[in-house]
Amino acid sequence: MTARHVVIIGNGPAANEAAISLRTQAPDARITIISKEPIRYYKPHLLPDLIAGKVSEQDLYVNPLEFYKENDIRLRLGQEVVHVSFATNEVVMEHKEVVRFDGLIIATGGKPRIPEPLQVFEDLMLSLKTLSDAKVWKERLRWVDSVLIVGGDLTSLSFTKAVLSLGKKVYFILHGDSFWPVRFNEELSSEVSQRLSDRGVEVISCRKILRLVMASEDSVEVETDGRKLRVGAIGAFFGLVPDVKFLARSGLAIERGIVVDEFLRTRFEGVYAAGDCAQVYHPKLRDYWVSIGYRNARNLGRVAALNLLGGQESAETAPAGIFQLDDISVNTSWWTEF
Amino acid sequence: MSNNIHHEGSGDLTEPAKNIIYSTDPADFHYVSVNVPCQSACPAQTNVPAYIRALYEGWYGDSYDLNRIVNLMPGVLGRICSRPCEQKCRHGEHELGRAVNICHVKRAASDHKDVNHVLLEPLFPPLGKKVCVVGSGPAGLAAAHDLSATGAHVTLLEALDEPGGMLRYGIPEFRLPRDILTTEIESILRLGITLKTGVRVGADVSVEQLLSDYDAVLIAAGCYTSKQLEIPGEHLPGVLSGLDFVMQIASGHSPEVGERVLVLGAGFTAFDCARSALRLGAEDVSICIRATEHDLRVTEDEIYETKREGIRIKGLIAANRVVGQMTVEGVEFSRTEPREVLSSGRRRIIPIPGSEFIEPADTVIVAIGQGAEPIPSPGKKNERGVLEGDPKTFRTSVPRLYATGDFNTGPTTVIESLAAGRKAAERIAEDLTGKKFREWSIRIQDAKITDRQRSWDFIPRQEMPSVPIENRLNPCPTVEIEIGYPKGQALEESKRCYLCYLHYEIDISKCIYCRLCIDSAPRDCIKLVSEVIVGRDGAIQELVETSDWRNVSAVVIDNSRCIRCGECVRVCPVDCISVSKVELVERALQGGGES
Repeated sequence: MTARHVVIIGNGPAANEAAISLRTQAPDARITIISKEPIRYYKPHLLPDLIAGKVSEQDLYVNPLEFYKENDIRLRLGQEVVHVSFATNEVVMEHKEVVRFDGLIIATGGKPRIPEPLQVFEDLMLSLKTLSDAKVWKERLRWVDSVLIVGGDLTSLSFTKAVLSLGKKVYFILHGDSFWPVRFNEELSSEVSQRLSDRGVEVISCRKILRLVMASEDSVEVETDGRKLRVGAIGAFFGLVPDVKFLARSGLAIERGIVVDEFLRTRFEGVYAAGDCAQVYHPKLRDYWVSIGYRNARNLGRVAALNLLGGQESAETAPAGIFQLDDISVNTSWWTEF
Repeated sequence: MSNNIHHEGSGDLTEPAKNIIYSTDPADFHYVSVNVPCQSACPAQTNVPAYIRALYEGWYGDSYDLNRIVNLMPGVLGRICSRPCEQKCRHGEHELGRAVNICHVKRAASDHKDVNHVLLEPLFPPLGKKVCVVGSGPAGLAAAHDLSATGAHVTLLEALDEPGGMLRYGIPEFRLPRDILTTEIESILRLGITLKTGVRVGADVSVEQLLSDYDAVLIAAGCYTSKQLEIPGEHLPGVLSGLDFVMQIASGHSPEVGERVLVLGAGFTAFDCARSALRLGAEDVSICIRATEHDLRVTEDEIYETKREGIRIKGLIAANRVVGQMTVEGVEFSRTEPREVLSSGRRRIIPIPGSEFIEPADTVIVAIGQGAEPIPSPGKKNERGVLEGDPKTFRTSVPRLYATGDFNTGPTTVIESLAAGRKAAERIAEDLTGKKFREWSIRIQDAKITDRQRSWDFIPRQEMPSVPIENRLNPCPTVEIEIGYPKGQALEESKRCYLCYLHYEIDISKCIYCRLCIDSAPRDCIKLVSEVIVGRDGAIQELVETSDWRNVSAVVIDNSRCIRCGECVRVCPVDCISVSKVELVERALQGGGES
């Protein structure tokens, strides 16, 4: 297609990679990035390092604002899309403005997932998805000496490393349903448990969390079906759910993400999804796949942009159980990197 | 509002008949269908804004009655209704937040009404006609009630041991307590209906015999034949029918389930099966659906509570075969590709070749739908041998023999079935007497400006309190999971309703085009228009907006966008904006109207 006006919803790695790929391939295209976060594009995978004090906030930011000006990319931060009409190719903003598009890339990323059985305890758990989440953790870790991590997603292990590096005691509850995005089995469970234990993490074996109670200002009491303990903070690391509530009733199919084919196409002409919010069916895997990690998100953003411009590039997908771990350029099981 | 109107007694239980206009003009019906979306979406046309407002004012009994006059079982429906009204609630529009928890408010009216609340019903004198209704599910009960209220002598035949049909035998007790169901059934039966249980028509008594004994016979026997997957392995031991499964539990039996249970299906029955399996001791229960979780037709609350109990929903998979040697060992699925949403509301699904995989299981429960069981009878049948009734008149090809509810249409929701039962009753009464007994009309009444406060629009949706997870399976697995709103929470939720039955209108002859109303409106509900396009029925079809001041012919309130905040009325310097209450109501025609 000759993309006249491409709107990109989101401002993470997939969105920014899509924008710059579009600019490179289609110098005349009008490109607009719309993001509800009023903050510049940063590297979310470095948030654990920020907590550990290994990097500063400035190290996280990727592009200065001038970058967008130089590349003629309109950056609209702090503006929320509330609806998309695929019949009229229009994006409706919260402040009632309607923006027309010829091509659309949805790269809104994900938001922390809390499994339904634990949602009643949501207020007592912290997650780590955004820069502000990291700041909350940084502050909390100044005061507490132990952390319970529940879940088992990609971020949980790098976060565990960060907490250990600060000399804090770490407890870990692994649960089949929460070990996202891979399918959990006994072999995987024992391998991950072993690696965590080797690092000094106390892995708690239990089937369910029965109760969380705020015991004091800086401690939470945890009751599982096996034991009780008191910790300074609880981290919920159950992976992500796509941040696409605004697309409800839009006609897009949404499961763990926006369902797209291997070329990242939705079923609407000129509409693509990339990054954490895309659920890709890949014929090689013979399965749907939600790709995670900074590098993968950037790759998907690039593929979406190229295909929007008429390309036929397939989203690279690693074999099941194998990940590209952020900036580590190896194909490996991510927990073995821990 | 139109001029095709007449003044009459109210017929309403809650207000005296004064300053009320009744209209049967099609334009007014069209207006309500567009502008009161909750009531239009309800198959029984329940007057949602009216009963929510009554509850807000503390009239729990009136709120209950406003439900009961059309849907007969507010206590039941307040728990298990599929809630089509909430899908259309204006509060759920894109920038307006989340729909009002209409159903929970309905339940609150039932829960908090006075224990001695007196039920009032318009009853007609005896007709001298005998009608037999076959089946005591929602359609049969509703038909029996209305026919009885109309003056017919009604006999209700039920094949099972107790009345209620799918309400009793298809919905688990932890969603619908039996005392609530029994009370509301009793309230229907005590109009003088003769209930005979354990009578299976076709076996214990023939339809021909009933036709000779009664002036009319209505078949409302529901759908009790489970649909089959028609895939290899379906008859292996360990594969259960969802309907049989829930019926066995309702009858006091406890079917055996293995540790790992897969439920195939996407409706309420599938969810009931999954949650029941958990209560019977299953450790790992999953609901397997062909489309996505977002395409499910069960309510958000049901999905949430099911997942809270630890049941997983596995989307985008379709069963190919059940695998196992002597007993079920698993199910082979294919991944599916979701396509467009069809006019039926279902999403088209394509299995993806080469994506097959096997999911292990000890028990498989198939809950993919039901069909009507053929009853031996005269009259035209469909290809499955089931008696056919006209979808509008409910008449079969045999004079005086009618069919309604799920038996006539295939499986629907409780509220649809109940509404169909009432319509069939009206038709039978009309056929037997040549008279109309009830009529739908639009009641228009001057109203004061709404006392709603703008801050109420930002009250968060009140979540239903429920039994803690750890207390659900033990000690009593039939304990009702949803606790119900306390009064305070019900009041908060009632405040969220915009009261869409209020109609705002600008009198152009008084308007000075100052546009203060437009400036004060919280959304684009007041429009400068060059033209108002009116349809053949006199209803407004389209407002042609203009931004050119020279072309403005009127300032119009678009009631389909209006959230009834009343700001425009408050700021208007010339009082040219009026408010009226426009409601779709069912009235008893006293003396019997001409058919």
